[in-house]
Amino acid sequence: MSHIKELNISPVGRVEGDLDVKVFMQDGVVTRAHTQAAMYRGFEKILVGKDPQAGLIVTPRACGICGGSHLYCASSALDVAWGTTLPPNALLLRAIGQATETIQSIPRWFYAIFATDLANKKFANKPLYQEVVKRFAAYVGTSFQKGVTASGRPVEVYALFGGQWPHSSYMVPGGVMCAPTLKDITRAHSIMNHFRNDWLETVWLGCSIERYLEIKSWDDMLAWVEENESQRNSDLGLFIRASLEFGLDKFGQGVGKYLAWGTYLHKDLYQKPTIEGRNPATISPSGFFDGKNYHEADQKQVREHVTHSWYENQDDSMHPFDQPAPSGSLNSTILENTDFNGKYSWAKAPRFMEYAAETGPLARVIMAANPANTSHQFQDPLFGDIMDKMGPSVFTRALARVHEAPRLYNMINKWLSEVNLDEAFYIKPEEKDGVGWGATEAARGALAHWIKIKDGVIENYQIIAPTTFNVGPNDSQGNSGPIEAALEGTEIEDPHDPVEVGLVARSFDSCLVCTVHAHDEKTGKELAKFKL
Amino acid sequence: MANVLWLQGGACSGNTMSFLDAEEPTVVELITDFGINILWHPTVGLEIGHQVSDLLNSCLKGETQLDIFVFEGSIVQGPNGTGQMNFFADRPMKDWVKELSEVAQFVVAIGDCATYGGIPAVPPNPSESTGMQFHKRDKGGFLGSGFVSKGGLPVINIPGCPAHPDWITQILVAISTGRIGDVLIDHYHRPKTFFTDFVQTGCTNAAAFGEKIDGAFGKRGGCLFYEVGCRGPMTHASCNRILWNRQNSKTRANHPCLGCTEPGFPHHDLKKGSIFKTMKYLNVFPKEVPEGESKLGYYFKAGMHKVLPTNNALKASSK
Repeated sequence: MSHIKELNISPVGRVEGDLDVKVFMQDGVVTRAHTQAAMYRGFEKILVGKDPQAGLIVTPRACGICGGSHLYCASSALDVAWGTTLPPNALLLRAIGQATETIQSIPRWFYAIFATDLANKKFANKPLYQEVVKRFAAYVGTSFQKGVTASGRPVEVYALFGGQWPHSSYMVPGGVMCAPTLKDITRAHSIMNHFRNDWLETVWLGCSIERYLEIKSWDDMLAWVEENESQRNSDLGLFIRASLEFGLDKFGQGVGKYLAWGTYLHKDLYQKPTIEGRNPATISPSGFFDGKNYHEADQKQVREHVTHSWYENQDDSMHPFDQPAPSGSLNSTILENTDFNGKYSWAKAPRFMEYAAETGPLARVIMAANPANTSHQFQDPLFGDIMDKMGPSVFTRALARVHEAPRLYNMINKWLSEVNLDEAFYIKPEEKDGVGWGATEAARGALAHWIKIKDGVIENYQIIAPTTFNVGPNDSQGNSGPIEAALEGTEIEDPHDPVEVGLVARSFDSCLVCTVHAHDEKTGKELAKFKL
Repeated sequence: MANVLWLQGGACSGNTMSFLDAEEPTVVELITDFGINILWHPTVGLEIGHQVSDLLNSCLKGETQLDIFVFEGSIVQGPNGTGQMNFFADRPMKDWVKELSEVAQFVVAIGDCATYGGIPAVPPNPSESTGMQFHKRDKGGFLGSGFVSKGGLPVINIPGCPAHPDWITQILVAISTGRIGDVLIDHYHRPKTFFTDFVQTGCTNAAAFGEKIDGAFGKRGGCLFYEVGCRGPMTHASCNRILWNRQNSKTRANHPCLGCTEPGFPHHDLKKGSIFKTMKYLNVFPKEVPEGESKLGYYFKAGMHKVLPTNNALKASSK
């Protein structure tokens, strides 16, 4: 066990427990990586036998960062199971809730989780390093407090309709609980305007939202950076220049396959919720991209593997509707004592069409570039071009995350303007037995809930979170999960401070603390261990 | 100057997210202006890896003074009491918690999971979760009913799912500014300053409660106690006095109070018929009545209200 002599500012991104990563290296290059999720609460098991609506209260508490996204799924799954009718206002207010939670997460993730790594000493000899440290260092960076403070504003809008953030349950089968008044709508516009003036246009873009949205290609993006001093020196301009200078576009590729459930169900296209009718009704489009072609994101194609997961009562490659409630009773082990040929994680390994698939903002913007998108859906060719010219990387993934903010800002204002104060917000549904599926895009990727209701109680409830897709272990065929794959081939400059591993994992914004153990492939000697 | 260590067990980070939304002071101001030194926090901590376990060991040895130990999330004891369902820095988290609680001046449990066990502890409680010094309503929990920290107080409980950012920051400021003597705690170890009044105190629908006017989802005005299970009259918390996210509260947004600052949360263990519905006897009499009222007395009063010739139809407020 060697001692790490010097450590840099490196905040920890943790939501749902601990994730450990074991990294094997040879000649400074990662040859193999295994992820280990190290905490179990058994939420799905708790839900069995409870009131059908229990998921509206329980599932947001699966994750305090994506609580609103869980609520979006839980209410949607019940809408399908009960065959509710949704008034347009309800779909608008749910979309506004989802979008404000997601846009909140963008500055919070960028400043508190990701950008502080750019201040790592690894980059100290680069020309832009001093400026990066001045702006992005934790707590003391000139942009750090601005960004973290600004991140609290959009969820004030969430609170206007949901009562509070995090952990409201205002989305219910049949619509929403609230019945906002004129002042709620006008105040929401005003709060978002603050967010734009305090951070989005001034600190982040250095230009108007309209100008930024003119960018359609990677060349446009580079031209935008150099167009004037204001854009060049904005936080986004600096982030792009520093990323290219620091080489963040050169590693962290991943599995090259992407899945998005899509989200923001259009107010006029999903009055009668069904599983089949959902995907065409999304505004942020769904899809599965295999590296060459787009396919439909059909939930029937989801399977979960447990060969390497600490669950014992189910077979590999089962669809969530067919799975039993998990029973975590196998003895888990600490990383040092883990045999990676056996079971090594509390996460299952989800697969789509039997492929490991990356979920997250990069998957979403790839779907937005699909030429087949319809007129009510996002149509944004930018990341189609970026994937062709640069391919996936730590930088591409991070750029995708921040690229969503300007468009979401406009959407939130548009949806607010479409709320009709004279029409219904809720139509009381009739409770019955049945099956339902609800999905959305949490800030960090595709989230879905599967519910079965029998004899008036929950018979089975299955959740697959984006982090499960991204950090899941090997499947029964021995194929790596997305983060495991993204780590392979990464060059580690200083094995005592493998910041590159941190950057890869954080580019996925994994909802877990990761403890990375770097091992020398030949001697098996542990070189470094640290939290991500 | 107060050294604060914040760890998470069976947690969702909801209290951390809530904490990051704090306004007066902001988290950054808490650190720069109020002498709070965050030794480590899972989301905003600067140390990584062995620096964290070294730091924890340094606290245990007394080399680093641990003024306030904050814990978020349940204590995961499963499977079979081993704690192996929640490893942290090469050990079951519960072992760290036990030892750190013994060296800390004050121990603060934040959120329902840390205070009472919360949602993870709902039967069948697959992770064998419990709270720091309570399991639901029963004193004891993980540290035991007799636990007293070095500073002479039991675990200070700041419940809520999540706790309001003010409840967190003001208590931290109180301790760091030497006002711990003003922090009075109630039967459930909650600071009385926040948990004496009810959620109903300041609810904009309180008049409708008095006049027995039913509200409903998607309606403006009316009281949610009678049909959709609002727990505002029997839940101690200041949600309608200090508001959330500077804007609103659940009940002001026509969202029934879920009673999340009380140890019964989630109430009735989420059983059939208990979610967003008022549980009743004979479909008439609410099973739970406002705190401080006898059931019969309340039924009599409410019944008189219902039959007296008053106009108690909902007059919806303007859009």
